[in-house]
Amino acid sequence: MRVAYYSPQPPERSGIADYSALLLPALAERIDVAVVRRGARRPRRRADISLYHVGNDPVAHGWIVEALRRRPGIVVLHDFVLHHLVAGMTLGRGDGGGYLDAMQREAGAVGRMLAHGVIDELLPPLWEDRAADYPLAGEVLTSATGLIVHSGYVERLVRDSAYRGPVWRIPHPAWSPPAEIAPAALPEGRTIIGCYGHLNPAKRLPQLLEAFALLRRRVPEALLLLVGSLSPGLELDPVYDRLGLRPGEDVIRVDYVDEARLWSLLSACEVCVNLRYPTMGETSGVVVRALSLGRPLVVNDVGWFAELPDEAVVKVPVGEGEVPAITDALELLARNHELRTRMADAARSLAQGEHQLDRVAEAYVAALEEAAGGAVVQDAVLGEIARAAQETGLPANGNALSDIAERLREVGPGR
Amino acid sequence: MRIAVCAPQVPFVRGGAEIFSERLVDELRERDHEVELVTVPFKWYPGERVLTQAFLWRLLDLDEADGSPIDLVIATKFPSYVVRHPNKIVWLLHQFRQAYELDGTELAQFDDSAEGRALRRSVHRLDKLALGEARKLFATSTNVADRLERSTGLEAEVLPHPPQELPYRCDEYGDFILSVGRIDRAKRVELLIDALGADVSLRCVVAGDGPERNRLERLARERGLNGRATFAGRVSEQELADLYAHCLAVYYAPVDEDFGMVPYEAFLAEKPVVTTTDAGGPLEVVGDRETGIVCEPTAIAVAQAFAWLRDHPDETREWGKAGQRAAEQLTWDAAIDRLLA
Repeated sequence: MRVAYYSPQPPERSGIADYSALLLPALAERIDVAVVRRGARRPRRRADISLYHVGNDPVAHGWIVEALRRRPGIVVLHDFVLHHLVAGMTLGRGDGGGYLDAMQREAGAVGRMLAHGVIDELLPPLWEDRAADYPLAGEVLTSATGLIVHSGYVERLVRDSAYRGPVWRIPHPAWSPPAEIAPAALPEGRTIIGCYGHLNPAKRLPQLLEAFALLRRRVPEALLLLVGSLSPGLELDPVYDRLGLRPGEDVIRVDYVDEARLWSLLSACEVCVNLRYPTMGETSGVVVRALSLGRPLVVNDVGWFAELPDEAVVKVPVGEGEVPAITDALELLARNHELRTRMADAARSLAQGEHQLDRVAEAYVAALEEAAGGAVVQDAVLGEIARAAQETGLPANGNALSDIAERLREVGPGR
Repeated sequence: MRIAVCAPQVPFVRGGAEIFSERLVDELRERDHEVELVTVPFKWYPGERVLTQAFLWRLLDLDEADGSPIDLVIATKFPSYVVRHPNKIVWLLHQFRQAYELDGTELAQFDDSAEGRALRRSVHRLDKLALGEARKLFATSTNVADRLERSTGLEAEVLPHPPQELPYRCDEYGDFILSVGRIDRAKRVELLIDALGADVSLRCVVAGDGPERNRLERLARERGLNGRATFAGRVSEQELADLYAHCLAVYYAPVDEDFGMVPYEAFLAEKPVVTTTDAGGPLEVVGDRETGIVCEPTAIAVAQAFAWLRDHPDETREWGKAGQRAAEQLTWDAAIDRLLA
């Protein structure tokens, strides 16, 4: 069986490119995978099924959605909220009509009017702070013959969107930490709190910095390490000034780093913080790496993050009480070595358990095999049973056929 | 209790599974339960037939019979455990192995087409559902339990069952090796024929029948075994007990067997067993140089093992008796107590 595989690939700076770089070799050990080159227009010949990795970035995923339109297939839905993707594929290409249609499809006349407001610059772009209200996942869901999701949260969202196709929930695969990790060369004798990944407003930096400023009063040796590119328009210096944090002394910021340096910096921290709100339904590769390394985590109690086990992560609420909750969590973890050790063990066993790469690859193969030939099998089974029912003379609307249908629903082939 | 023991039946085929189910029914009846054996013919090919035939079990209504409730259903192997019942126990002999560890081997059933792959996955899905419904899961061996855990994530308690009742005895350590069981590729009787080819001093009797019998008889002739391999066909219980009583030792080396009653039968006749390192379930029963010999799955290694037993009668007798002591630990009383606990 052959799979046409559509995904951003390294060296693109994309979490999904990293994801595919990890998954593909394990998948290729088990199934014939043909990676489709970026921008390919024609459907892959001889493929039994196509697998499309779809995320919220129009640059990384626009061409993949176009391919999905031409040939429906299995979609790995890395984000449920695709507003930014759709806006990029419509407005970003001068296709205002496409955006109007997408918004109308999502929210009827009100949606269309809102879209007009955005196009006419009477309203701020919806994708900046109201994307979760208008996820615009409809087109992708319509073209998806099946979905692979990473969380129960996204599974519920797609079912609430009336998606009726098969959905497979497959955990994010975990990286194995490198055998050798270079020292991070950070100040010694400090309790390092690390925050990693592209720093955008959804990472709750103001809340984290405020919580860290409070923590510094209780744990003076605490050091906040911010690693990742900074979102345009996000100014940190004024926040540092307001909170009395000294850049380079209390807070060290490191721009985008390569994979080897990322592992160094991750292994240097005592506690990893990965706050997120609003969530687009995404997972976090950094969180999965931190689990692999056995780093205790502090996350927001939302989306996929809320589904992580309490033994491995501390969850803090969003909104009211968030800042003191972050401070308390960081202080608890900074001071309690035994707790950190327990959480580290739980984190590693999670990474080596349900997130284990081979296990994830097996789940992918199972999903793809079910999807590729499932309809043929279903037709064959139903056909044989229907013939037997007809030859037996079962009445079309009788109880006996209802019973058969119910049993079929239970065991699978009737779904 | 009213108990339905559920077991599929492949018409005209009789082996360890059939003996086990019938014996389970008898043993439960002896303990004053009202018991019935429920069977449905099973044919697993071609194509989707494996699913439609499994589905027949799903349509059975075993909640009650003739107006009285059935208290318990005990299912044994695929696809009988697809049956629905609020109080379903599975004593698993094996899953549909072609969908699991035999996939991709010469014993495979499902090809590499999209349909073949999906069929195999459908069996997996069905197993997860049907076995997951069981109130309690038992497996006849650690091998079967491990396979179940690997394939479905479900955990089963290991519960081996005693072998069939025969007038077991040991009259001598004679001059022939005994092979017992269905003659198909998985049982790997060919390795024994090859072993006889490697050592002209060895003789064997193959008791049983199956699709490979004609080919192996031809092979024995081609190898020039000149009557050193006797194919006895299906034998009566008395004849089987006689064969056990007179053989030197027993050969039992299937490919990754689930459990296999043959080693325990051999032990009850005080005979050691030669098996191979890849035999699966038998490795839980046969202790190397304790109750038999575990050797590499090669003709020469098997031949050397039997020659060694022939040349060391004291050890052969001692290991046979050690096996007998182990086999006598396995009782229906203990098994049924755990089953119905």
